[in-house]
Amino acid sequence: MSVSPCSAQSLLAHEGKPLNSVMASDRRGERLGKILRKDQLKPLFQALQRKGSLYAPVKTDMVRFQEITTPEDVDAIDFSGHAFFPPKKYLLPNEEELFAIREGELRETVAELDQQFIVNVRMCDLNAVGILDNLYLDPEYPDPYYRAKRDATTFIGLNCVHELDEYCFCGSMDLQREYDLLLHDLGEAYYVDVRSDKGMALVEGLPDAEDDFTPPLPRTSKVLDPKGLWPFYADKWWAGDNELCVGCQRCTTLCPTCFCFDVKDDLDLDDLSSGKRLRVIDSCHSPDFTRVAGGHDFRASRLQRYRHRVMHKLQYYKDEFKRSMCTGCGRCIRYCHSKIDFVKTINEEFVHE
Amino acid sequence: MNNYLKHTPVKILSKTWESPDTVTFKVDWQVQHDPGQFVNISIPGKGESPISFCSWNPDYCEFNVRVVGNVTEAISELEPGGTMHVRGPYGRGYPMRCFKGNHLLFIGGGCGVAPLKGIIEYVQHHREDFEGADLYFGYRSRDDILFKHLLDAWKSEFFLHVTIDRDAGEFQYSCPTGFVTEAIKHAQIDPNGKIVFLCGPPVMMDKTIPLLLEKGFHEDQLWVSAERHMKCCTGKCGHCMINGKYACKDGPVFRYDEIKGVTE
Repeated sequence: MSVSPCSAQSLLAHEGKPLNSVMASDRRGERLGKILRKDQLKPLFQALQRKGSLYAPVKTDMVRFQEITTPEDVDAIDFSGHAFFPPKKYLLPNEEELFAIREGELRETVAELDQQFIVNVRMCDLNAVGILDNLYLDPEYPDPYYRAKRDATTFIGLNCVHELDEYCFCGSMDLQREYDLLLHDLGEAYYVDVRSDKGMALVEGLPDAEDDFTPPLPRTSKVLDPKGLWPFYADKWWAGDNELCVGCQRCTTLCPTCFCFDVKDDLDLDDLSSGKRLRVIDSCHSPDFTRVAGGHDFRASRLQRYRHRVMHKLQYYKDEFKRSMCTGCGRCIRYCHSKIDFVKTINEEFVHE
Repeated sequence: MNNYLKHTPVKILSKTWESPDTVTFKVDWQVQHDPGQFVNISIPGKGESPISFCSWNPDYCEFNVRVVGNVTEAISELEPGGTMHVRGPYGRGYPMRCFKGNHLLFIGGGCGVAPLKGIIEYVQHHREDFEGADLYFGYRSRDDILFKHLLDAWKSEFFLHVTIDRDAGEFQYSCPTGFVTEAIKHAQIDPNGKIVFLCGPPVMMDKTIPLLLEKGFHEDQLWVSAERHMKCCTGKCGHCMINGKYACKDGPVFRYDEIKGVTE
């Protein structure tokens, strides 16, 4: 049996088609499970390299997503760690050109995008994509820059059979099966859970799984108590963590769902009538975030800013989209300078006397 | 896909300096909008600035811009005959049809008077829908008074009361030197059948609302316009979020009971 590399034709068939229709429909009568032998994995990744850009976590000084450019580099792909930076950057780059500025006028810049395949994405980071979709693909003002990248991207997840470390708490979050493909380790082979046509196009040549099986969602020993936070809005509940916070913005930088941005005009120094209008990832922990022209700052204190981040993740977003904005990846706790653990605080301290 | 961040060029018909730092632009743009909504004005190379409509007229739009930063300074340098880049209208304005038959009370401070002027013009176009209007406007000094050329017309049609924080001197529309909150405190106002529109600096809002509640107004009779840092104006960039509500999308106009108690 050989792996069927996706045909260029079947990939092209989805170009320009709204993703929602690709994701939601066209699964009539299809088996959703495929079996991929472990020795077939490398040829599959190499096939993806031929179709577009392949991005995967690689362990260097830390585990981080990077482009896998040569067929040999596929061997370096990491299967055991938790990436330091989330793969959010492939949909929302830290800095993105919205318009070119030429002779004082804005020109739309439409980038031609190649297909990109992001593999070995963990369940927490896969869920982050759906959370970003709610914002950037809202029906009233869909974002064309995000849409283009989203349509060109295929996510292939790697299910966490064991929790990666003690900071993960995705097992207590409302995880959805949102991905194109998910690899679930069965020992000798992977069970491939297929959730989209885009995903199916890559694995249709593989044998169907015989058993009716759905990969289990990850379990974690750390859990977040799903209590509502509105009763705990008062300053006193946040004062302890705020004492420790230094406002370094690491948490917002590493969060797979932090989507706030600023818009900046960047001019060429040798020709001030030309340049770029950029979208730059911003952080609500920055004191400038809510400052208006004239100087008034609506969240002038660090406590207000710290509370805003956690409330937005766990309450505000849920009020709007009926789903938590936190996926339990644990990065903001794992990498916090001051070891602030909002999960512990909420579980243990947010209790009415 | 339509690019929601793209601007529309509109022609500038005229430009009037209202005060040393505030200028009104009239532009050739016929766009349907509610009073209280706003647009984003763009100066390529400088940035964008959210500015509310200060007019209500089917034939043109007016925007009142106060020079407080780089972008507003660049906007103020635009000239009649030139082009202004706008996108919008954005946000939720005042639901004027819900106020039919009411008497309207306007309380504005400084450049907060500009969006209220939009409602006043709506009322002037739909005069039969409303009982009448009382205007209470406060400014820091005589130089800061906006729309001076309209004061006569407003005084003849509505009740007009202008306060000046300091050195009022002799001024035909003003009362003794003081804050607009003082004027509200001493005014005899029957809350019955009235709707109040408040727009001004946070300190003015914070002081005026308790006075109105003391006078017997219900929270759902008060409408406030919230000022926040806005970038995208479409509920994405996150800057204007107030306890989970976006000022740009859910506001900028809020009924007071919707945002009372917010601390940020």
